[in-house]
Amino acid sequence: MRHYELMVILDPSLEERTVAPSLDTYLNNVIRSSGGSVEKLDVWGRRRLSFEINKKAEGIYAVVDLQATPEAVAELDRQLRLNESILRTKVIRPETR
Amino acid sequence: MAKAAALRKPKKKVNPLDKDGITYIDYKDTALLRKFISDRGKIRARRVTGVTSQQQRQIARAVKNAREMALLPYTATAR
Repeated sequence: MRHYELMVILDPSLEERTVAPSLDTYLNNVIRSSGGSVEKLDVWGRRRLSFEINKKAEGIYAVVDLQATPEAVAELDRQLRLNESILRTKVIRPETR
Repeated sequence: MAKAAALRKPKKKVNPLDKDGITYIDYKDTALLRKFISDRGKIRARRVTGVTSQQQRQIARAVKNAREMALLPYTATAR
């Protein structure tokens, strides 16, 4: 079990209040079902991008702190990337520097 | 005397990270990272920033991560 930090940028045309529940279903399906735990789910909200991604100038940012196995995180990242309303994801292990 | 006048005395730089007690450079902290990039978006050299080489590597990695997530620009046209 390792500590990971996941950041996602979502499509700005989504409703901001639907973001947390929809991310939570992903987290339930992949992380919690495999014995991991979610420490924090932080939705930053709409934010201007430094450059356009898929012709969009804004994005909804969300940051998740979680404890999980490497396989579970890889699977979560894979599933998130398949979702078309997710512009970008990043997984980081904050301790390894 | 002439020699001393010819050589410019290097000004001692204060390490901006040690001064503020920052030990971990977070790629999400764009306010901090913006101090280490130029107004064109380039990472400032270590002789300009005055940090240690280890810290400079951490800064560079954080800036690159932040760029991937569109938190910082890859390039910015000159203002």
